[in-house]
Amino acid sequence: MKKEIIAMLLAGGAGSRLNILARHRAKPAIPFGGIYRIIDFTMSNIANSSIDVVGVLTQYKPLSLMEHIDNGKPWDMFGRTRLVEILPPKTGEASSDWYKGTSDAVYQNVAFINDFSPELVLVVSGDHIYHMNYAELIAYHRKKRADATVCLIPVPLRDAHNFGIAETARTGRIRTWIEKPQKPPSNLASMGIYVFTTNVLMKALVTTARTSGVDFAKNVIPQLLKEHRVYGYEFNDYWRDVGTIDAYWNANMDLLARDPEPKIANWRIKTNLHVKGEIGDRPSAYLGRSARVRNSLISRGCVIEGTVSHSVLSPGVRVEKNATVSDSIIFHDAVISSGASVDTVIIDKSVTIETSARLGHGTMKINRRYPQHLSTGITVVGKKARIAAKITVGKNCIIQPEAYVKRNCTSGSTK
Amino acid sequence: MSNVLAFVLAGGRVDELLCLTERRPKSALPIFGIYRIIDCVLSNLMHAGIEHVGVLSQYRPSALVRHIGTGEHWDFIGRKRGIRILPPYRGFKASDWYKGTADAVYQNCAYIEEFNPRSVLIASADHVYRMDYRPFVQHHIETDADVTVCFTRTRKRSSRFGYGIIDRTGHLKKYVEKPETPPSTWASMTLYLFKTDVLIDALENNAHETSHEFGRDVLPALMNKHRIRAYRFSGYWAYARTIDSYYATNMDVLHSKVDLSKWQVRTNLVERCAHSERMPASINGDVVNSVISDGCTVNGTVRNSILSPGVIIENGAQVTDSIIYHDAHVGRKTHLKKTICDKDTTIGENCAIGVSGEETPSREYPELLHSGITLIGKKCTIPPGTTIGANTAIYSASEIGMRTIEPGSTLR
Repeated sequence: MKKEIIAMLLAGGAGSRLNILARHRAKPAIPFGGIYRIIDFTMSNIANSSIDVVGVLTQYKPLSLMEHIDNGKPWDMFGRTRLVEILPPKTGEASSDWYKGTSDAVYQNVAFINDFSPELVLVVSGDHIYHMNYAELIAYHRKKRADATVCLIPVPLRDAHNFGIAETARTGRIRTWIEKPQKPPSNLASMGIYVFTTNVLMKALVTTARTSGVDFAKNVIPQLLKEHRVYGYEFNDYWRDVGTIDAYWNANMDLLARDPEPKIANWRIKTNLHVKGEIGDRPSAYLGRSARVRNSLISRGCVIEGTVSHSVLSPGVRVEKNATVSDSIIFHDAVISSGASVDTVIIDKSVTIETSARLGHGTMKINRRYPQHLSTGITVVGKKARIAAKITVGKNCIIQPEAYVKRNCTSGSTK
Repeated sequence: MSNVLAFVLAGGRVDELLCLTERRPKSALPIFGIYRIIDCVLSNLMHAGIEHVGVLSQYRPSALVRHIGTGEHWDFIGRKRGIRILPPYRGFKASDWYKGTADAVYQNCAYIEEFNPRSVLIASADHVYRMDYRPFVQHHIETDADVTVCFTRTRKRSSRFGYGIIDRTGHLKKYVEKPETPPSTWASMTLYLFKTDVLIDALENNAHETSHEFGRDVLPALMNKHRIRAYRFSGYWAYARTIDSYYATNMDVLHSKVDLSKWQVRTNLVERCAHSERMPASINGDVVNSVISDGCTVNGTVRNSILSPGVIIENGAQVTDSIIYHDAHVGRKTHLKKTICDKDTTIGENCAIGVSGEETPSREYPELLHSGITLIGKKCTIPPGTTIGANTAIYSASEIGMRTIEPGSTLR
């Protein structure tokens, strides 16, 4: 089947800085904004840009991701000429290995690309929250007669050392390209989105592999710069790499701003509404006689009898009478029992907070075991954990999945 | 349950619901926010593991056809499972509209023969209940009944039902359809199980008659010659025959009479989301004892009300005791009381709908619209500053020219 363009979606990231949120699932499968998962943004961008063949490259804990992508139907990529294919690492005659990096993952799947003989290949990551019409990017790539086009976003110069940075000529052609530079020559950071002319990509993948290169940013792009026309496409809209707990929390809270970003409704972000194992469809949210909800997103199946402010609740969350939830993100089917108080906490699926427990209360101390992950006050409670009645858990705490916490946890501790 | 074939009666036209059923059959009416009434029976059939379902529809079926789709939402899809809409058709001999519930099934005898089931289950799509059909089927088979009729105990003896007199052994001694004075408290749920050959014989005999209804004609004709048993159902059972009963049934979800988390109802979630994907509800107002669906934005006050997906309640608006369908918009400082707003209605700012005149019944339909409910039809736009008295029915796409609409009015 011949296609003009196909997309390769990199969804293998472990997301280790997201700590226990990525313990049981790949980063793109982490819930976001109540009913979505992070990958929905990229999948919807692809669908809304009329690209209808997608290879999803998975490696790390792909189960929940595969279930979520299902047969591609939620994004309308289902039919005789439209499809999503999950491309996990595989053993074969010649190569038999895990994906060693982003370009290696695509390299190991050149057969998938060749099946469609596309003129162009779009390489995107499933880790980011943004909306982009890739059709404009592709038009730009063609207009510039580029061999490769990299999406660039202006970042504050002081943060530029965290990114791959490009310096472009006035024509848009990339002159220099440095990964995580000490002294950034510009503030244009790579978004990890690339368009390649297929034959150029194929040759580059072979050459890169021969020199043991495995990564688009580190190996493929620098190599292409030598001989090919590589252009930068500047993007100036909302885009977030939600790779840290802080960034993840902030991007969720952006949904609650007076002028919310990302503009999910306008962007037509689609998700898989059907969840395996759910016998019936979740009914609409019910707010009871003593409910008080302010500036929050409440998903289907929630039952609210307590107070919820400035928070994002996934489907099936119960907030009982006299319980308060503020500045928090609560995943599916968690229960906040009566009298409990939850402040600036990310609570994973099926967690039970028993009566009068207090979470996120205490002095500000950074997490001792993961100082890089938790320093701004957010406490994270892992999937299926239980916090016993009247227990206090401080700020910057990590409660491991399935833990039963029966003693107080001071700020900065990990249980 | 491969030996049971089910028919769902979804077709009848009912004028009693005025503008709510102007363009849709009763079974397609929205209920509890995201469902349609027919979802209850379809989910019951799914949970019972019944594999083949025929939906008999005649009156404006397009909403139903789209809603049921391939049947995948109720798992009626696969090599051995299926759901089929069975509309009236023209053939060599028979070519007519369905003349009644029994005639509708009779005209689809070929569908029964295709599967050759042991029993045929016939259910109405208009009822709101969660019932496990498996013990019902088991009872039917164990007692080797020719027909088993399901009954529920009624508190109010209404002449709207069929009533049964059941003997001590569970046999149906007598059945009367819509009697002036009900002879018992056991009302028929229009839920039947037939032995297939008994059903086909009965339908063939009925075909020569002038009236073709299961309750009125088929059951009484079978009474003397066949083993007809009664099955008693004791769970919640409600219906939407009138505006009052439709309204009350919806409100039951706010009074803990219906626990949807236990009912496990399925619906077609994709249908109305195709145009705009729904976010979780965004709530920044006072919401008390209400159901709020995905895609709603509530900045005003909502009390004792049910909001379908995509409803917007602006700042300062007050919505009380109301049912608001998909994508309706209620403007700033507007008051709504006991109002049913159909899909895509727009109520401007500073309106007062249904707030006054609840004592004045509808002039055109005093029997149907008298308890203070106000109906706003699909896609109506109510200009800012309009006052609409209670017991008013506004049909879809009506032009609203005046600032004040008296209670009890009907606009077309």
